[in-house]
Amino acid sequence: MKKLLSLLCLLMGATTLFAQQLPDVKVEDIEGKMVSVRDLVKGKPMIISYWSIACKPCIQELNAINDALEDWRKEADFTVVAVSTDDARLKAPAKNMATSRGWEFTCLFDDKQVLRRAMNVTQTPQAFVVDAEGNIIHSHTGYTPGSEEELFDKILSLKKKK
Amino acid sequence: MRFLATILLALVAVAPAMAQRSIGNGQVSGSFESTSIGYLDDKKLGAAPEDHFGSNNYLKVDYANGRFSAGLQANAFLPVLQGYDDLADGKKFYLASKYIQWSDKNFEVLVGDIFDQYGNGLIYRSFEDRNLGFNNSVEGVRAAYNFGRFVQLKGMYGRPRLYTEYADSWVRGADLVVSLADICGIQEKVMLSVEGSYVNRFQKLTLGDDRDKLIFEAAGLDKPNLDMYSGRLNFGWNGLSLRGEYVHKGKDLNLDATDGLAKTGSAIYAEAGYSYGGFSVVATYRQLSNMATRASLYDEGVANAINYLPALTRQYTYMLANLNPYQVYAMGEMGGQADVCYSLRSKESRYRYWNFHANFSTFYNSFSKNLMWRDINFDVERQWGKKFKTIFLFSRQEWGKSLGFQDLYGSNIFVGDVTYKFDRKKSLRVELQYLLADRHEGKYDYEGDWVAVLAEFSLAPHWSFFVQDMYNIDKTKTHYYSGGFSYTYSRTRVQLSYGRNRAGYICSGGVCRYSPAYTGVNLVLTSSF
Repeated sequence: MKKLLSLLCLLMGATTLFAQQLPDVKVEDIEGKMVSVRDLVKGKPMIISYWSIACKPCIQELNAINDALEDWRKEADFTVVAVSTDDARLKAPAKNMATSRGWEFTCLFDDKQVLRRAMNVTQTPQAFVVDAEGNIIHSHTGYTPGSEEELFDKILSLKKKK
Repeated sequence: MRFLATILLALVAVAPAMAQRSIGNGQVSGSFESTSIGYLDDKKLGAAPEDHFGSNNYLKVDYANGRFSAGLQANAFLPVLQGYDDLADGKKFYLASKYIQWSDKNFEVLVGDIFDQYGNGLIYRSFEDRNLGFNNSVEGVRAAYNFGRFVQLKGMYGRPRLYTEYADSWVRGADLVVSLADICGIQEKVMLSVEGSYVNRFQKLTLGDDRDKLIFEAAGLDKPNLDMYSGRLNFGWNGLSLRGEYVHKGKDLNLDATDGLAKTGSAIYAEAGYSYGGFSVVATYRQLSNMATRASLYDEGVANAINYLPALTRQYTYMLANLNPYQVYAMGEMGGQADVCYSLRSKESRYRYWNFHANFSTFYNSFSKNLMWRDINFDVERQWGKKFKTIFLFSRQEWGKSLGFQDLYGSNIFVGDVTYKFDRKKSLRVELQYLLADRHEGKYDYEGDWVAVLAEFSLAPHWSFFVQDMYNIDKTKTHYYSGGFSYTYSRTRVQLSYGRNRAGYICSGGVCRYSPAYTGVNLVLTSSF
């Protein structure tokens, strides 16, 4: 146990020395085509939110972001990517939901857990804020109504840095 | 507990320093997850396990530098939580996965533990699900090559993980995707691909004792090789999507076979979807015959599998709707589901809309043609404005005799879910649920009626508090209560709860783990970096 704890502390400390970039992996989009995650970085900040059909707070978070999106975009130009972690069981209903909800997001479907493992997402919802160069500058696990504002605050902080 | 408290302190201490800074090209990332339960004696449920404690811990670390990446995952069960397969002997610390990988623009090779899936996973899927204690990754070599956008080819060879050890078998496979749309230059308008996979499992039939040999001989299993083939077609155009897969499986021994004979297997999967504006519909059909494929013929357990056969039913988030989930009958089932969504949005305000959703799923036993499962459900979500949201759900569920129930068991489930947002940070969510069991000649089905209530108060973005109770009104008259809170700071989340938990199946996809009833204190810690 002591070894595990020491290793953990060492690694957690070590991470402060390194930048974290989006992984270079390909995931399926809503049309079934494979897209590179790094190709989604197009000179704008980005919110990446992981969700699944069976994760109620995930869907709450995406709905809340979509509701506020029009107001937010008056203050900052950014994109939103919703990554479904649903596997073969629920991938079809997940696409169905993403299509009907009117989410103004880029929707990705990570049924093989490729992106999820690469970004070390152990629990959903988990949201990331990525800068215009593809660096992950913030992450938040879990969702409570109102916590979407924290993501937007980070987007605004990027705008101020410019 | 001292161990966990120390980890917690360490995480909280380093969390503020986790803003990323760039030095060189390399980067380290990872995650830590810990679930610990202190089991308590409960007069209603009986005595707690002897050591009164279980703790499952997972540490995953990755390093990436340009096209090179490597990583490992260490698991520590101190000891394992109740209900997990194959770890009844208690404490275990082991290396659960490791890999080194080189990824070029069109080429990728990985040496280590492979997580991958071919098609819908009907013949091969290696994945991890910690809630189930499931990790069937394949230790070996994987290579993939893309011929531009036109053709993707990948292959792998290795031995599958079986819980904390490896199976005495070898798995090899290849997967090919040909994009006809790209070849014909119509990829901007149409998605059209033909795909195929091959998987082989090799396991000597002479590894076990004389009893094993007799079983194999009597079953007619005389070859160490099992071959599986899959062909797929995907089409998408203008809101319409069609997907299909056919699988043939060679002769294999199935634990559920009543006659004990090895048989060939097959599977058909078909899916059709259409969307237009706020309306979308998808229907799936699947037929399975002798498709359960074990990693090892000499072992049992839910994680002893190399393919993935999920239940194609709605997965609920409400307690009573999820009381008795359907489990796949891989020996022979046929059925499917239809899922319809419609969103009606106000033109004046983005904060006012209706979301309508209906789902129907049904499965039959291929041999007896008896109904095994049927679920007709719908839910209506209404966002009334910035502050107020309501959801109403109804589900009619029926279980057939072939799933262990003496008779057809039916229930009607009603759920009301209300969220009120006081201001930007404070909100309250309340769920009220009722399960009305069918009555036959004055007797209720199975355990009779249930009622459940949940209240959740949140202080965004850090705190959330909840209390809930699920009560069986008729047969057991038992309360399953719990309460707790969670605290989130950036990527670290801690949840502490106390309560009584009902015995039942925890299911994810097609895999279900039986979790015994317990009363206890539950601490969950997750963090990523």
